[in-house]
Amino acid sequence: MSTEVTGVTEVVVRLKLSLLRNGLRQSGGRRAAYIASAVVALLFAALQLLGLIMLRGTAHAGSVVILLVAVLALGWAVMPLFFPGGDETLDPTRLVMLPLRPRPLVRALLAASLVGIGPLFTLCLFTGSVIAVAHSGLAYVVGVVAVVLSLLVCVALARAVATANIRLLTSRKGRDLAVLSGLVIALGAQVVNFGAQRLGSSGLAQLDPAADVLRWVPPASAIGAVRSVSEGSYGTGFLQLALTAAALMALITVWSRHLTRLMTSPDGSTLQAVTEAAIPERKPTGLTRLLPAGRTGTVMERSLRYVWRDPKTKAAWVTSLAIGLIVPLFNALQGTGSIYFACFAAGMLGIQMYNQFGQDTSAFWMVALTISSPRDAYVELRGRALALLLITLPYATLVTVLTTALLGDWARLPEALGLSFALLGAMLATGAWTSARFPYSIPQEGYKNVAPGQTGLAWISIFGGMIAAALLCAPVIALTIWLNVSEDGDAWTWLLLPAGAAYGAGTTWLGLRLAAPRTAARLPEILTAVSKG
Amino acid sequence: MTSAVSVRGLWKRFGQQVAVAGIDLELPAGKFIGLVGPNGAGKTTTLSMVTGLLRPDQGTVEVVGHDVWRDPVEVKARIGVLPEGLRLFERLSGRELLAYTGRLRGLPGAEVDKRATQLLDVLDLAGAQHKLVVDYSTGMRKKIGLAAALLHNPEVLFLDEPFEGVDPVSAQTIRGVLERYTASGATVVFSSHVMELVESLCDWVAVMAAGRIRAHGPLAEVRGDAASLQQAFLELVGANGRAAGTDLDWLGGGAR
Repeated sequence: MSTEVTGVTEVVVRLKLSLLRNGLRQSGGRRAAYIASAVVALLFAALQLLGLIMLRGTAHAGSVVILLVAVLALGWAVMPLFFPGGDETLDPTRLVMLPLRPRPLVRALLAASLVGIGPLFTLCLFTGSVIAVAHSGLAYVVGVVAVVLSLLVCVALARAVATANIRLLTSRKGRDLAVLSGLVIALGAQVVNFGAQRLGSSGLAQLDPAADVLRWVPPASAIGAVRSVSEGSYGTGFLQLALTAAALMALITVWSRHLTRLMTSPDGSTLQAVTEAAIPERKPTGLTRLLPAGRTGTVMERSLRYVWRDPKTKAAWVTSLAIGLIVPLFNALQGTGSIYFACFAAGMLGIQMYNQFGQDTSAFWMVALTISSPRDAYVELRGRALALLLITLPYATLVTVLTTALLGDWARLPEALGLSFALLGAMLATGAWTSARFPYSIPQEGYKNVAPGQTGLAWISIFGGMIAAALLCAPVIALTIWLNVSEDGDAWTWLLLPAGAAYGAGTTWLGLRLAAPRTAARLPEILTAVSKG
Repeated sequence: MTSAVSVRGLWKRFGQQVAVAGIDLELPAGKFIGLVGPNGAGKTTTLSMVTGLLRPDQGTVEVVGHDVWRDPVEVKARIGVLPEGLRLFERLSGRELLAYTGRLRGLPGAEVDKRATQLLDVLDLAGAQHKLVVDYSTGMRKKIGLAAALLHNPEVLFLDEPFEGVDPVSAQTIRGVLERYTASGATVVFSSHVMELVESLCDWVAVMAAGRIRAHGPLAEVRGDAASLQQAFLELVGANGRAAGTDLDWLGGGAR
């Protein structure tokens, strides 16, 4: 029996290693990326380790360490939800055809989870945490147990969460969620940044109340135990350690139950829904009725639906909206801002006009089959630009007004708005033209936004386009500068609002006019370019 | 007899590889036409060039008397296409996809909605019309693609592997719709590598292999003396009589 058990464990660990190795063998770039990320992770771990050792003996070391462990455990819990493709051994349904019993399988999968950069990183951090708070021989002994226990808790937590959510992870909704994960991480980084700044200003003592609670929550409780033992409270320490062990057992039980159920019940995705016909008829929304008839309204409606429903498009939009708001407002809040930063909103949202047909993916054939003249192409592009304006115009105006309010610089509002509109027009014009001239594929799976081999095209399209847009804006920028430096110019800066708006509208019109015949003439080439990957 | 599609000297190369090597073909109007050939024969490339989705290196294509590349206005209004391996706008529901396609085609909204309702009913998609296409099965995708291709009542319908990966029930539904459509005098051109299917559906076939047309004409003519189209096809492409050989002699039988 025991040889069989080690057999399964060994095979699964080997499987994990082979998967890692084969993943690296696929391409040189991937290998380089993996090695680079491993080096960065280990460097980071080493720095953390060093930092934690230096923390030893400082007043709030205990609180810092407990919080760190808790945050790391949280990371282990949410990671499988956002990176479902990351670890193929996380999907035990792939092993469903093999004659395996649950107990050896659980052990084997747990062992396999300990292989990788993530566990190594965690191990470094936990070891550092123990060194930071242990002050006696006994504390070190408890520390060794604590490190092993908490590492196992983290790994089991990830496995349990992944198994419980396997239906979600392998479904379309789960994959959609994964595309948005980059955003969650970016926003999370902002929160951490904000928190760190607050800590920097008001000291580590702020952490203590949180740590008082978390030192009873596994796996942070294991590190809490080391601290308690160091302070001589052996009873508390033992309790905390026991709590961690109990949590580990509970997690493994839950995981094992889910695993057994998962591997012995049919896959729900192949069962036909009986109640399909029960979905009520959807009434056209108010917006749909407001849109113009004909191709223009049809194109606008589809574009707007995609902003909401297509995960890639949604992620791009949310990023643009967030950055377009954060940059001018945060700068204004910190007192380093200028009202001209408000143009960021228009610029960021204007980027969405770039690579319009790439956003369609190979479904562009449906559009291509209905474009038979430059006029059709013009209406198509104009519809897309109008859909974009429907969101961008009010948003850019709002951001500009907010920034102005924060800075209290109301005199400059007209010129900032005028500049925004001129920039937006230039972005729409160059976006339409590069969409026709330099289209590229956006892979629907994973995090990449450019298909392999088209990176150069994407660079030309986006950066060439942006430089061209900036150049196109030059007259309005020059006028702004001239009015600001010349005597009595200030009296006339309000003129920049109508001038900028008219200039933006004019460049957009011209850009669409120039892009339309190119689009109509290059339909097969565009389709080929956007169908890769 | 008038031609629905007329192809002359059609060539397409991808780098070193020649995908289509000089095709001349006249497809008669009002027929159910099958374009058959093994995987990689150039069927998809040919259909893409005929429908204007891929630019040929050389050659001309005329659909109902209009040049595909010089007269796209006339051609695009008259053809319906269901390509293989290209996506649909999958984040729309089935009904939204039809509404979108029909309106892009310039049909009045009320008419599009009326036709969409009927197509969804006939194709057995009424129950799933508000589901996103991304959640459809392969059979449902082919059916909604067919509905989108039929919406503007085209004269010639091009279908690339319309039965690939489709369950028997959906296949029968598709078949019924197509038969009714050709009975009214319209032309269907579809590609497939399933000979039995082509034999039972088509009255005119063109056999393709390695980028060339090997035979074309009414079904009975191409089949000739062979027992089935499958046999005739294997003889045409020279894959007949490949002996099973003595390998795999361990497969089946008593000892494991």
